Amino acid sequence: STLPAVAEELLREIKKTFQQTSHVPDELLLGLKFIFGPSAVPALDLVDQHSVTRVRSPSGRTLYQVLGSSGKLYTCYSSCHFCTCPAFGFSVLQKSESLLCKHILAVYLSEAMGACQELSVSEEQLTNILLAEEEDEG
Amino acid sequence: LCRGGLAERLCRLQNRERSAISFWRHQCISDDKIPSDKSGVLIVKILEIFEECTIQVAICQQLEQSHATLSPKDAVVNAEEPILKVLFTRDTAAHLKSRPQDVIHIYPPWQKLLLHNTDVPVIMNTYFSQKVLLNEHSEAREKTYGLTKMLIRKTIISLAQTFRLDDPDDGLHQESSDNRVASAEQMRNNGDSKQHPLALSAVNDSLLEIVESQGAVGWREVQVQVVIQRVYCLPAREGYRSHIQGNKPLWSNGGMFCRLCLLVQDAYGMFSEVQLQSLCSTDDIEQYCRRWEGKSCCLAGMKILHRTTRGRALGLFSLIDSLWPPVAPVKVHGQSQESEMMTTNLPPPSFCYVLTVQSGEIHVELDEEEQISNLYQPPAVHALKEILRIGGCNKRCSFWAQVLYQRLQTKHNIPIDQREILLFVTDSTLQNAVHGIPKVVAVTVTASCVLGMEIIEAFSAGSQLVFFKDALWGNGRIICVERTVLLLQKPLLCSAAGADLSELPGPVRLDELDSTTQTNSVCALRGTVVGVNESTAFSWPTCNRCGNGKLELCPQDRELLYCNQCSEVVTTPVLKMQLEVFLHCPSRSQSTVKVKVWHEISIALFVLLTMLLFLQTYEVQSVLGKEVGLLNCYVHSVTSHPNCVALEEIVLL
Repeated sequence: STLPAVAEELLREIKKTFQQTSHVPDELLLGLKFIFGPSAVPALDLVDQHSVTRVRSPSGRTLYQVLGSSGKLYTCYSSCHFCTCPAFGFSVLQKSESLLCKHILAVYLSEAMGACQELSVSEEQLTNILLAEEEDEG
Repeated sequence: LCRGGLAERLCRLQNRERSAISFWRHQCISDDKIPSDKSGVLIVKILEIFEECTIQVAICQQLEQSHATLSPKDAVVNAEEPILKVLFTRDTAAHLKSRPQDVIHIYPPWQKLLLHNTDVPVIMNTYFSQKVLLNEHSEAREKTYGLTKMLIRKTIISLAQTFRLDDPDDGLHQESSDNRVASAEQMRNNGDSKQHPLALSAVNDSLLEIVESQGAVGWREVQVQVVIQRVYCLPAREGYRSHIQGNKPLWSNGGMFCRLCLLVQDAYGMFSEVQLQSLCSTDDIEQYCRRWEGKSCCLAGMKILHRTTRGRALGLFSLIDSLWPPVAPVKVHGQSQESEMMTTNLPPPSFCYVLTVQSGEIHVELDEEEQISNLYQPPAVHALKEILRIGGCNKRCSFWAQVLYQRLQTKHNIPIDQREILLFVTDSTLQNAVHGIPKVVAVTVTASCVLGMEIIEAFSAGSQLVFFKDALWGNGRIICVERTVLLLQKPLLCSAAGADLSELPGPVRLDELDSTTQTNSVCALRGTVVGVNESTAFSWPTCNRCGNGKLELCPQDRELLYCNQCSEVVTTPVLKMQLEVFLHCPSRSQSTVKVKVWHEISIALFVLLTMLLFLQTYEVQSVLGKEVGLLNCYVHSVTSHPNCVALEEIVLL
């Protein structure tokens, strides 16, 4: 498959350029739009608002929490591409129309530009975050 | 949206782009002809199409301008033409309705992305694309195609594959990829519309960038500029043959095959070990050291052997540590290229790439007249007395020393190529030292330290002044291992006045035998003979030319002796006599001291002695009570129960 490698390279390039110049050039933004389509602008908006938090527990487990526009908190996994938002379930899982949802893209972009907030929680709290999602859907 | 944020900016850019696209499309329809502005246009022929998410991926062949005017039948797939992967959005794909064999013109601004480890570049931002209909026939075909839907394979992407934005092993800096996002604007300036996918060779100054962009494939066109910090030989694991000449013991690796290696450092302070020729002889190492160390060179045609880390290559990293921190400012990845910072707080490297030459030639281009680089750190020379006081373990050290005595560790169950040599060395700081510091120090030369034939022969010839470069100090011992180089000549740019240290203040003195004497050391002793072990009395003839102790009877004349090392008759053999005596040594009065003494005398004198002995009865008693000293001895063993020291008289070089 080509698209993931292209997406990864684009994100790497954004990280590298941002580290060197603290700026993301227009071509890379347009590249994001090209590859990720309608998710690009909303994802950047989430980055602008510092909506992404990396949650870490003492054992080293991590996950991401993204504050959506509706005020709802969505959870994104760090070990695979997964998000608890309905768009992910629909566009990515069901229709395979997108690589990522805007929240996962916001996670990558926040990492690339150092815009992640950090939160340390206990093992129990991290477990609860993961289990809470199940309760909601159940 | 946030004011001044990235989202707002992209919105603006996107709106602009959208209007440009619709304007362009409108222009294409109304114009009927292909827009005249040809520069920057990418002409591709589609070979295969598939879909990933909503993006259409087309494997294409890039065509020359001239090919565009040929009919499809004539445009034969030419293997020489570069392959591209062109991405189209769903919207563009719907507009193009492309099929394999179609020729597409892609107008700027499009973007090119080079991925890691692949030769095939990716073309993005292909909004301004147009299918080219080459003749009437294809136009008609096009209309019919428009009615039938083509089935395009859709690839499902796995969710398990996440994106790695940086390299977790890399403590030094973040991921830096060597791809170029070249927009059509830049290419138009170059005035060359045909793009070669691979980067053209430009001299790079970062090993990491080159390594990570080229991967294991090899660096065909790129060159990297580095400084040669050290030159040494590593034993070659394959293809070694051992040469045993007569009865001469084979010194570790002497004359055997080895690999010339360079430890190089780039402008960012990163190290790499480059293994050059395979299977060279060890004799030229001194020359290479003198000509190459400290110089800048360009590496090309290299391939990555492996990447190693501190935990796996202690020897290599002890050498790297001795060169850290860098003596000149190094660049830091992630900073702007203009500002070179003095990196006082950079941690020592934790990984190192080992590279090798792809073909059999040396691909090191260096200008031997060039000045020594600022980054070069010559070995810091210390006196032996200072080295013995160094704290810590596994530290590389360099020193000049006089080699007094050498001993091959003969253990019969160890193969010849793994034998160790024990060298006993000293310098003026040890000879002049006060009580508490040994006068002579033992240096173990392991089999992995490659010695040139020149050095080995020099040891046999007499006491030598040797430069030990990058020997390893730890646990109170000095050992020569892989990457240690022993040189007879003075290397360039030696710090500290090595010559002064080597001037010994008179005849060499060894420590006297006492309660602290250890096994496998050398010492001097004096004492009184208290006993003789007659059963050990032994004499044998040796060759006066080469010292061979295993002479044979001449086949032609059984009265003559023959040396098969010299391949000649021995007319005047030297007689060696050996005897074990027990001494009482005041310096270690509690121990039984047993010394194997031996002497050489000529056969003529032996005959005379025998006659005298025949005439007079030889009494052991006459030997008792005799004063012996000062004898130089090698300590074979020291035992406490019984309290016994066994030594052998030696002759220093």
